[in-house]
Amino acid sequence: MAVASLPRAKRRKRSSFGQDNLVGYLFIGPWLVAFFLFTFIPIAVSLALSFTDYNVLSNSGEFIGLDNFQRMFFEDRRYARSVNATLKYVVFAVPLRLVFALGVAMLLNTWRRGVGVYRAAFYAPSIVGGSIAVAVMWREIFGNDGLVNFTLNLLGIEGPNWLGRPETAIWTLIILAAWQFGSPMLIFLAGLKNIPKHLYESAEIDGANAFQRFLRITLPMLTPIIFFNLIMQLISGFMVFTQAFIVTQGRPLDTTLFYALYVYRRAFELNEMGYASAMAWVMLMVIALLTALVFRSSSYWVHYESDEGPT
Amino acid sequence: MKNRKSLFILLAIALLLPTLLAAAQDQTVVRISWWGSQNRHDRTIAAIELYEELNPDIDIVYEFQGWGDHWTKLSTQAAGGELPDIMQHDYARIEEWVANGLLMPLDGYIESGVIDTSHIADSSLAGGMVDGQMYGINLGNNSEVFTLDTDAFAAAGIELPPLDWTWTQFEDIANQIQSELGIHGIGVLTSDQLWKSYYMGCCDQWAYAADGMSLGYEDDQPLIDYYSMLLRLQESGGMQSYEDSVARGDQGVEAQLIVSQEAAMAYHWSNQIVAVWNASGAERNFVMYPIPRPEGGQSQNYIKPSMFFSITSQADHPDEAAAFIDWFVNSIEANEILAAERGVPVSSVVRDSMMPTLGPAQAEMFNYLGIIEMDNSPIRPADPAAHADVIGSIFSPEFVEPVMYGMISPEEAAPYLREEANRILAAQ
Repeated sequence: MAVASLPRAKRRKRSSFGQDNLVGYLFIGPWLVAFFLFTFIPIAVSLALSFTDYNVLSNSGEFIGLDNFQRMFFEDRRYARSVNATLKYVVFAVPLRLVFALGVAMLLNTWRRGVGVYRAAFYAPSIVGGSIAVAVMWREIFGNDGLVNFTLNLLGIEGPNWLGRPETAIWTLIILAAWQFGSPMLIFLAGLKNIPKHLYESAEIDGANAFQRFLRITLPMLTPIIFFNLIMQLISGFMVFTQAFIVTQGRPLDTTLFYALYVYRRAFELNEMGYASAMAWVMLMVIALLTALVFRSSSYWVHYESDEGPT
Repeated sequence: MKNRKSLFILLAIALLLPTLLAAAQDQTVVRISWWGSQNRHDRTIAAIELYEELNPDIDIVYEFQGWGDHWTKLSTQAAGGELPDIMQHDYARIEEWVANGLLMPLDGYIESGVIDTSHIADSSLAGGMVDGQMYGINLGNNSEVFTLDTDAFAAAGIELPPLDWTWTQFEDIANQIQSELGIHGIGVLTSDQLWKSYYMGCCDQWAYAADGMSLGYEDDQPLIDYYSMLLRLQESGGMQSYEDSVARGDQGVEAQLIVSQEAAMAYHWSNQIVAVWNASGAERNFVMYPIPRPEGGQSQNYIKPSMFFSITSQADHPDEAAAFIDWFVNSIEANEILAAERGVPVSSVVRDSMMPTLGPAQAEMFNYLGIIEMDNSPIRPADPAAHADVIGSIFSPEFVEPVMYGMISPEEAAPYLREEANRILAAQ
């Protein structure tokens, strides 16, 4: 009896395992179908298009090898400017946003009363995040007769034409990015809550001041979170689009012609989908490379508690 | 088991119900898409609603957007095979769209009388012809215009100039307005439209050569002179600064400075006076002037089909679309609602019926087109296919912006514009 029932039990187990898988696939089926139709296939097509001069309007294009890339790197002056603008944006906006996010998260982590209200209030700008409404509002704030210049006027200063000057326009977008610190802040907040209290307590007993506690405990314990936020913000920083599209339209003098905006211009305004696809793939490569570099560097500065083993 | 079966049947019916209902209604859906100002959207929608009332079997599904988005959206729809039945088209783009096989020739509908052109002058229809076939029905006649705020002129104590005013007179007036009233003479004058027609005034030339394969003017000096004047006006405040126009962004004709009385003159298309006057208020007084000309030069104005209705080659219901276009162009009722907002109607019957009831904006526009008909330059061939690329890649970013921001002088920029534009045009 026992001998006979063994393989049977085994078989049943295997078949029920298969059935579980089937049910699983069925559940994610709709997502899989949509993923292949709307994400994977378009990505593959865009890779193919990047070696052609495909034009949306004529719905035709020919294989032109690496010409698109040659044009991008050696001939297109606006491409160089869009790379410049994007790099400047990422270099300033990403750290600024992370610093703001961490600062506010620490404030919200210490307060006790009514802290929920503040958390919601500080997160609100990010919910409306990349939306058109915020961008339109930003235009008003930094416009000629906007809030900023009105305030400066009260102080007796004549404010510059923020959105019209090539030196200042990009900064309005960087400030906008810093102001939308909600989602990294929330993640920082969760990270802060996870730092064991006893570390601070023993540090305090040892006479460490607030600054030392921040430098020696908070920052190292938070490095995995900083790492995660840095990667996420780097990626979204390179892909910035809506703000420039609505607030500045890439102007003046292409100082806010962010990469994604330029890709859009080429693809949908000038119908050069082949060239735009090539640009998009270069961007993908650059983001992938940078992300890999950050990952590589992480072993030098990211501190995982589990590395230390049990204490 | 039986329960489950009936459940399935119920479910199937529920899913099919909307389709059955739609089939029962038996309406033909005609899709249409246009660009324009809020004023145009309101008027066009009202006209469509009237048409649906008159033709209960037709359901017109409409989409509208601004000029830039119109082309972005429609070219994407073209690639997806999803073009509407009727699309509003423009003289600058129609050749490119015909070349790509995206529009349907309308000659058959004209011959059979579905689209009645018997009251439309041939000269008004000619703009919609490409390679001898009709691809767009002209919705109104148009010309560029300088609109003057007569109240502001009176307040500044400036006499209205003669109709054949010169650029020198214009510059003086703009500066006088600035010094007398402390407002700008006019908004920025860096439009590519002005560049295209600028050489008509001095040299009987056009921005593009007749074959569209190169620029059509030989001497950079007139362009240099024009931009030097713009720089002087920007400096004096006689013209809004380019910086200020960038900061304000492109918010459509209704946001022109003349509307908010921040300038006493405005440059736009003649049909846009309807939207401008509407936004300004009925109590304002405007008079329309031709574009200034060089000393001893000729008119820089030409009469252009303001826009077309075209039937796309991807249309599901071209016959119904043609019937709608016919109504749109020839119906007096329709044109009373549309109020010549797309320019002076091309049908003489419609024009005559509208005459006694014209509002001040329409009356001024009809009168203005009459003036232009007396003295104009002939219309040039439709823009070459690379026009959008020349403007988007070279003219605006490499010429207008650097010059107006003082990064480069007009003397340096004009030859560069020529060189790069010629490169793009030759490579089409």
